[in-house]
Amino acid sequence: MEMGFGIELSLTAKIIIGVVVVFYFILITGFGTYFSRYSRDINDFFFSGQRFAWWLAAASMVATGIGSYSYLKYSEQGFNTGMSSAMTYTNDWFIVPFFMFGWLPIIYFARVRSIPEYFERRFNRTARYIAVCIIMAYMFFYIGYNLFTIGVALQGMFGIPLLYSIPVVAFFLGAYVTFGGQTAVIFTDLFQGVMLYIAGGLAIFAGFAALGGFGEWWSFLPETHRLPFVHLTENPSFNTSGLFWGEALAGSIAFTFMNQGFIMRYLAIKSVHDGRKASLFNVLVTLPLSAVIVGAVGWLAKSLIVKQAAEGGALEGINAIHIEDTYHTFIVVAWETLHQNSWLFGFVIAALTAALMSTIDTLINACAAIGIYDIYKPLIKPDADDKHYLKAARWASVGATVIGVLLVIWFSQQRGSLMQIHYKGIMVIIPSIVTTIFLGAFWKRFTAPAACISMLVGSLLTVVTNWLPDMIDPLAWFVSGPDNDVYIYMRALFGMVTTGIVGIVVSFMTQPRKPEEIQGLTVDTLDEGMKIYKGGKPNHDVGKKVRRLPVVIDESLPDNIISISPAAMSSLKAEEGDIVYVADSRWYLGGLRSEHCKAATAHDRDDEAVLMSTETFHAAYLLEGKTVTLEKIF
Amino acid sequence: MTNIPTSKSLAKGGLITVVLLAFVFIFPRILISLLGEANPWTSYLYQYGFGLIFFLMGIYIIFKSGSCKLGRGHDSFWFGVLIGGFIFFASAHALWIVASLTIPYAGGQ
Repeated sequence: MEMGFGIELSLTAKIIIGVVVVFYFILITGFGTYFSRYSRDINDFFFSGQRFAWWLAAASMVATGIGSYSYLKYSEQGFNTGMSSAMTYTNDWFIVPFFMFGWLPIIYFARVRSIPEYFERRFNRTARYIAVCIIMAYMFFYIGYNLFTIGVALQGMFGIPLLYSIPVVAFFLGAYVTFGGQTAVIFTDLFQGVMLYIAGGLAIFAGFAALGGFGEWWSFLPETHRLPFVHLTENPSFNTSGLFWGEALAGSIAFTFMNQGFIMRYLAIKSVHDGRKASLFNVLVTLPLSAVIVGAVGWLAKSLIVKQAAEGGALEGINAIHIEDTYHTFIVVAWETLHQNSWLFGFVIAALTAALMSTIDTLINACAAIGIYDIYKPLIKPDADDKHYLKAARWASVGATVIGVLLVIWFSQQRGSLMQIHYKGIMVIIPSIVTTIFLGAFWKRFTAPAACISMLVGSLLTVVTNWLPDMIDPLAWFVSGPDNDVYIYMRALFGMVTTGIVGIVVSFMTQPRKPEEIQGLTVDTLDEGMKIYKGGKPNHDVGKKVRRLPVVIDESLPDNIISISPAAMSSLKAEEGDIVYVADSRWYLGGLRSEHCKAATAHDRDDEAVLMSTETFHAAYLLEGKTVTLEKIF
Repeated sequence: MTNIPTSKSLAKGGLITVVLLAFVFIFPRILISLLGEANPWTSYLYQYGFGLIFFLMGIYIIFKSGSCKLGRGHDSFWFGVLIGGFIFFASAHALWIVASLTIPYAGGQ
C-alpha cells in the first residue's frame, strides 16, 4: 500500500497537528478514567447494570459505528461512485422487525452476557466455543484493522513508522478501557460522537464554502454520483445486488445481532422499550447521518474537480485539487478546503483519531467480556469473587489490545484497497454465525448438532471459495448478481445459504432440546422469558412516569425493594412485585444514578416519598437531597 | 428422528420455499428485461423488492410467535414504527432518485 497523502506539511504544521492530536488523546483518557468510579463490579464493568436511558446509549453508538477507516474508505468510495457510498448505512431497515421483537427481547430478558453464552444455553457448550472462535476473529479483525488504518494515516502525515505509532495509540486506548469499563466507554463515546460530527461537519462545510454553496455542489455533481444506488452488477467490488445480499442482510445482521460491542450497549439500557428507541434512532438517524459525515467529502471532491475542469482552473480562494490516489481523498480535500489551516486540520485529524478510539474501546471491552464470561469464568476460575473477575477483566482488556497491535503486522502485509481488505475479511468470517444466530432465535426446531455442524461446514466452504470462486457462480447467476470471480459480497450469501441448508437438513435428522430447556431463548417463548426475568407475571399496562419524588430511608425494606404511595402506584399502573426503574430526576444524567427495584405494597404515609433501604440507595448511586423519578418497566 | 416435521408441514414449507425461490429467480430478470441493468430504478426495485420480502417475513414471524401483539403494552406503537420506517426509507430513496435525474447538471460532458 502506497504511503503519503499527496499533501506537503511544513514542520510547523506537523507540530501543530501533533499537539492537537496528543491533547485530544490526553483529554479522552482523563475523561474515561473519571468514569471508572462507576464500575463497582463485573456487571457494571461490562454492562453498566442495565440502567441507562436510550438516548445515552444511542448517542454513544454514533462513535462506535464510525471507525477511523470509515472516513478514508467512504470518502474514497464517495469520490469513485458518488452518493451510493451511503448504501451500506441506509439498507438496515429490512432486519429491524427481527431485532426489535426478536433478538433484542431474547437477549435482554434471558440476561445473556455474551453471544457465545447464548449459544451454550440455546444449543450446547461445543456450539459456544465454535461461536467464541468466530466472534473473536470478527472483533480482533476490527481492532487490528482500525489500528492499522490510523497507523497508515499517521505514517502518511508525520512519517512515523507503524511499528512506533500504533503501540503508542494502543497504550492510551488500553488505559481508559482497562480501568474504566463500559461506563467509561459509553461516556467517552458520547463525547467523541459529538466531536466526530463537529469535525466531519467542519470538513463538509469547508467543502461547500469552497464550491460556492449547496446548489453549486449538486449542479456540478454528475448524475451517476448523485444516485443513491450503484449499478446492479457492473462494479465487481461495489454493486447493488452484492451489497443487498452481503451487506444489507449478512453485514447488517452481524453488526446488529452479533457485534458484542453493540449488544453490550443494548444490555446497558434500562428496558427493552428503551432499547427499541435506541435501535430506531440508530437506524433512522445515526446511520444515515454517519453516511453523510464519512462520505460527503468524497461527494464534494467529485464536484470540486468537475467544477475546476468546467472553469479551467483552481476555484477562487483555494489551490487546485488533484487526487492522484483516491485513497487519500479525505485528507487532500480537507487540507485544501480548510485553506491549509493547521489548527482546523489538526482538529479534523483528531476526529479521525476519535473515530478510532471510540470504535476500538467498544471492541476491546467486548473482547474482554467474552474472555471473562466465555473462557476465564467457565473454564479457568469458576468460583472467584467479583473483585477477582474485575481484575481479570482488566487484564483481558490489556490482552485484547495487545492482540490487536500484533494483528497490524498481518494487515501491513496485505495488498489492495482498504475497502477490499475490509470486506474480504468480514464477508468470510460472518456468514455461518449470522445464519446460526438467526435459525437459533427464530426456528425452535434448530438443534444443537445442526448448529455445530452447520457453523463448521458453512465456515469451511466459505473460506474455500477464496481459492475456488467458481463455486459462487451458480448462486450469483440465480439471484442476477455479478458474474465475475471477485464476489466480495456474494461470498456472504454463499456462506449463509450453505450454512442454512446444512443446518436445516441436520436439524431434521437430530433431536431438538426439550422445550423447557430453551424457554426465553427463541422468539416464540418470549412470554416465558419475560416471566423468568421478572420472577412473576408481566404487567403490560402502560402507566405514566412519576417525577421528582423525595427518598426516605427505611431499613425495614429488603434490598432492591421500594415502597411508594398509592397515588404513585396508580399513576405508574404498577402492582406489587412489578419492576420499577428508580432514577435521579435530573434527566441529563441519563440513568447514571439509577436502579431497577421491585415495588412492595404501597405505604400509608401522608407524603409521596419513595421508601428504600440504605443498601438500595447506594446501589442506585443516589444522592441525599436529590429527588427521583419512577417508571414502571413491566 | 422425531424432529422431522409432519407431511403437512413439509408440504407447506416446501411450497413456500419453491414460491420464494421462483420469486428470487424471476423478479430480477423481469426488472432487467423491463428497465435494463443500468437503470437506477432497477437497483432500487431490486433492493426494495427483496427487502420487502425479508421485512414481511419478519413481520409474519413476530406475529405468529406472539412476540408482537397489537394492543399489548407499546406493541401497537412499535408495529406502526416498523411500517412507517419502511415507507420512510423507500420514499426517501425514491425521491432521491427523482431529484438526481431531474435537476440539471452544470458540469458539461
